[in-house]
Amino acid sequence: MMNELRGRLFSEGCRVSLRLAAFCFLLLSVTGCGGGRGGASGPSAMDSTLVITSLGDADYLNPVIGATVTSSNIFGLIYPSLLQSSFDTTTGLLNYEALEKRLRKATGASKKPEAALARSWTFSPDHRTLTYRIRSDAFWDDGMPIVAEDFRFSYMLYGNPIIASPRQQYLAELVGAENGAVDFQRAITAPDDTTLVFRFHKPVPEYLALFHTSLTPLPAHYWKDVEPEEFRQSSLNQNPLGAGPYRLKSWKQQQELVLESSARCNLPKPGNIPMISFRVVPDYTVRLAQLQTGAVDVVENIKPQDFEGLQRAAAPVEIKTVGLRVYDYVGWSNIDRDEYRKSGRIQPHPLFGSAKVRRALTMAIDRQSIMDGYLKEYGELCSSDISPSLKWAYNNTIVPYAFNARKASDMLREEGWVPGPDGILQKAGRKFSFSLYTNAGNERRNYASVIIQQNLRAVGILCRLEVQESNVFFENLQSRRLDAWMAGWSIGLEIDPMDVWGSDLETSRFNFTGYRNPDLDHLCMLAKKKMDPLEAKPYWLEYQELLHRDQPVTFLYWIRETQGFNGRIQGEELNISGVFYNIDDWTLRPSATLAP
Amino acid sequence: MLTYIFKRLLIAVPLIFGVLTLTFFIIRLAPGDPAAFFIQPGISPNVAMQIREQYGLNEALPVQYLKWLMNVLQGDFGRSFSRAQQPVIDVIAGALPITVTIAVLTLIANFMLGIIIGVVSAVRQNSFLDRFMTVGALFFYSMPEFWFALMMIILFALKIPIFPASGLNEIGAEGFGPFGFAMDRLWHLVLPVTVLSINGAAGIARYVRGSMLEVIRQDYIRTARAKGLPERVVIMRHALRNALLPVITLMGSSLPFIFSGALFIEVIFAFPGMGRVTVEAIFARDYPLIIANTFISGTLIVFGNLLADVLYAVVDPRIKL
Repeated sequence: MMNELRGRLFSEGCRVSLRLAAFCFLLLSVTGCGGGRGGASGPSAMDSTLVITSLGDADYLNPVIGATVTSSNIFGLIYPSLLQSSFDTTTGLLNYEALEKRLRKATGASKKPEAALARSWTFSPDHRTLTYRIRSDAFWDDGMPIVAEDFRFSYMLYGNPIIASPRQQYLAELVGAENGAVDFQRAITAPDDTTLVFRFHKPVPEYLALFHTSLTPLPAHYWKDVEPEEFRQSSLNQNPLGAGPYRLKSWKQQQELVLESSARCNLPKPGNIPMISFRVVPDYTVRLAQLQTGAVDVVENIKPQDFEGLQRAAAPVEIKTVGLRVYDYVGWSNIDRDEYRKSGRIQPHPLFGSAKVRRALTMAIDRQSIMDGYLKEYGELCSSDISPSLKWAYNNTIVPYAFNARKASDMLREEGWVPGPDGILQKAGRKFSFSLYTNAGNERRNYASVIIQQNLRAVGILCRLEVQESNVFFENLQSRRLDAWMAGWSIGLEIDPMDVWGSDLETSRFNFTGYRNPDLDHLCMLAKKKMDPLEAKPYWLEYQELLHRDQPVTFLYWIRETQGFNGRIQGEELNISGVFYNIDDWTLRPSATLAP
Repeated sequence: MLTYIFKRLLIAVPLIFGVLTLTFFIIRLAPGDPAAFFIQPGISPNVAMQIREQYGLNEALPVQYLKWLMNVLQGDFGRSFSRAQQPVIDVIAGALPITVTIAVLTLIANFMLGIIIGVVSAVRQNSFLDRFMTVGALFFYSMPEFWFALMMIILFALKIPIFPASGLNEIGAEGFGPFGFAMDRLWHLVLPVTVLSINGAAGIARYVRGSMLEVIRQDYIRTARAKGLPERVVIMRHALRNALLPVITLMGSSLPFIFSGALFIEVIFAFPGMGRVTVEAIFARDYPLIIANTFISGTLIVFGNLLADVLYAVVDPRIKL
């Protein structure tokens, strides 16, 4: 009886289990069917695949509208470029290179820029006309030649307001732009397949003309039938036709995008690594764990406290850094923001309106301790927004204000701030008390803000810490609703600071502090007028002295961003212009024999 | 019962519609701008304006609402702001099967584990095993799931690397064949489903234990034992069947919880499911996608509750709807 019951229970259990297994299999198959177009790769696929993790997916694989960093990294490998650019680490200047011509003489050993589509260029003496000669041996992946008309067509897309390209700023000097819309008939002409002419409405420095005319082209024959209204929704965005060292193999959105080496590429050659996979892994801890196990090869922005763990990882991991492009700062509202918002009148801020007070605040903050505690050797004291990596313009005579709480207190007393009965500084009945805002989710800034709070309390300043969701924080910053905040900037490789420090607060969109200094405006204007950037050097040196003196913000530290690389990667050359700068030259150690 | 279900469905329509209307206005009142991404140095200020124009955000709020209403009534939830202007229905169609897979596997694991632990605890009441399981269940029940997930990854993907830490499949899984691909997918689902189900199972175990303890003290259980039925049959057939009545209703109401649990599980394990879509849509202020996600989760909650009520009536003849 018992055995019979057991048997029945067992057989019933088996039937249920089988049904369950079948159901699970069905479910798995349903979710698996949405996969990409990846073909058979075999169990050793990892040997010939470089795996790069990213925080988010690419938005568009289209250089006209792609806006995310991941998109730029990917379409940079798919599409060709008119010129190659390289960052000269000895001078800190960007160089532009065509096949047979360079803007500046290369300082070190340099390879022939064979990826450039331009053979050469000529720039008119009046700095208003730039003529490219394009090579005739370059082809799109479908075999069609790359011609000058492709560039003209692409620039019309970049300039079309319906398409709303985030790169339309590059067209600002072209003929017609001074009246609000580029006159493409006159501004860009393609007299024949290998000649491309750009015309500017004002004299433009040569480096800027090259920078702004080397936007990535799209194949005109492939895109010509897509209406501007449909451009962002076109299915061609998921099937890019390029000419670069890689082409799209498969794209499972929000999961993985796989590029394969493009065998027919001659710009300059097919990528060495057969496949590159960009995997979306939003969580930092998981990215780090995968780097340690060797499941992924490249993880960007590793936190300094994780270096030790990585050294003990099962997979060999190397930490690499690029130049200094990112800095953190504490922003002080220089103007009375309430008064400005209400009446448009500009009055000094009751707490931070005086440059002397701001200097005292900088001296009261122990920036070195923040760096020692968090960034260690991956930080450098910051005195202005010109990076030490831009050696040609960097003012190395400026000595950063040292931490000196006593001197800070003295300076504050000279400005009328004296301790009240509760130990908090007071002036005319107003306490030196404010909220310091920062955005949520940034561990480094959280760490720094706690030290800043303690440092300021030591000189009698009450600072409350407030963390806001990033969107809210940015909106408050933009509408100048904050008295004090902590944020960061990532700088461009060309110096153009008027958006951040320009005295016209209506047009200077990122002048959140309300800093105004006509001398600084004048210096920037003089520097921008120089056709050779090196001639503008004296202005930029003085510019940094002004910023150091006025301390519109407390510049904290430059951050040396750190990237984790699996030891099997070889041939990588990291550069301030990008982590994946020469990725088509990289090789994977186990796959060296597989590489084409 | 059919009339009851029909009535509930009729009430659900204005309810869900009301939720969507509220969501429409609340997200637009929240600070943040869908075009904020384009406000940065080096990008012309025109771009943010052009993008807002494309999204129809420059129109007055009532006009935006009327346009949205007309589109929704025609089944068009619009195009996503943050995902390359894909129709939001396509975005959801890609994400929903992944979340449903996790949810169904979790539901199965939840109930199987919960029932087993609950029954053993009740049958061996006050024994060491019962106390151990009770403490264990409370321990897991009170543990934050995101932390538990990270600990599981560190333990089983890093220290003892037997499970993958993220993703739905291995690199080159397409080459494993259909069976190998499915097994690989299953392998990738072990950690997330374990994390989601252990927490839920602990709760269900408490329910089952309480319910079983109540049932095994009933007269009919004593009768079953008195007539000489083996203990296994008494417990499995007579006691468990009746003890499961209140537990079955949990099935309907636990669906929304599993979906909300999937929010962080999908972010941590890098699954492109509904949870990640929702989180990313909120951070990007992707209004059409947020509303469509609210529609899906609102519908799930309404139908989950309806399912719970109907299941109760189906399994317990004393309940009349």
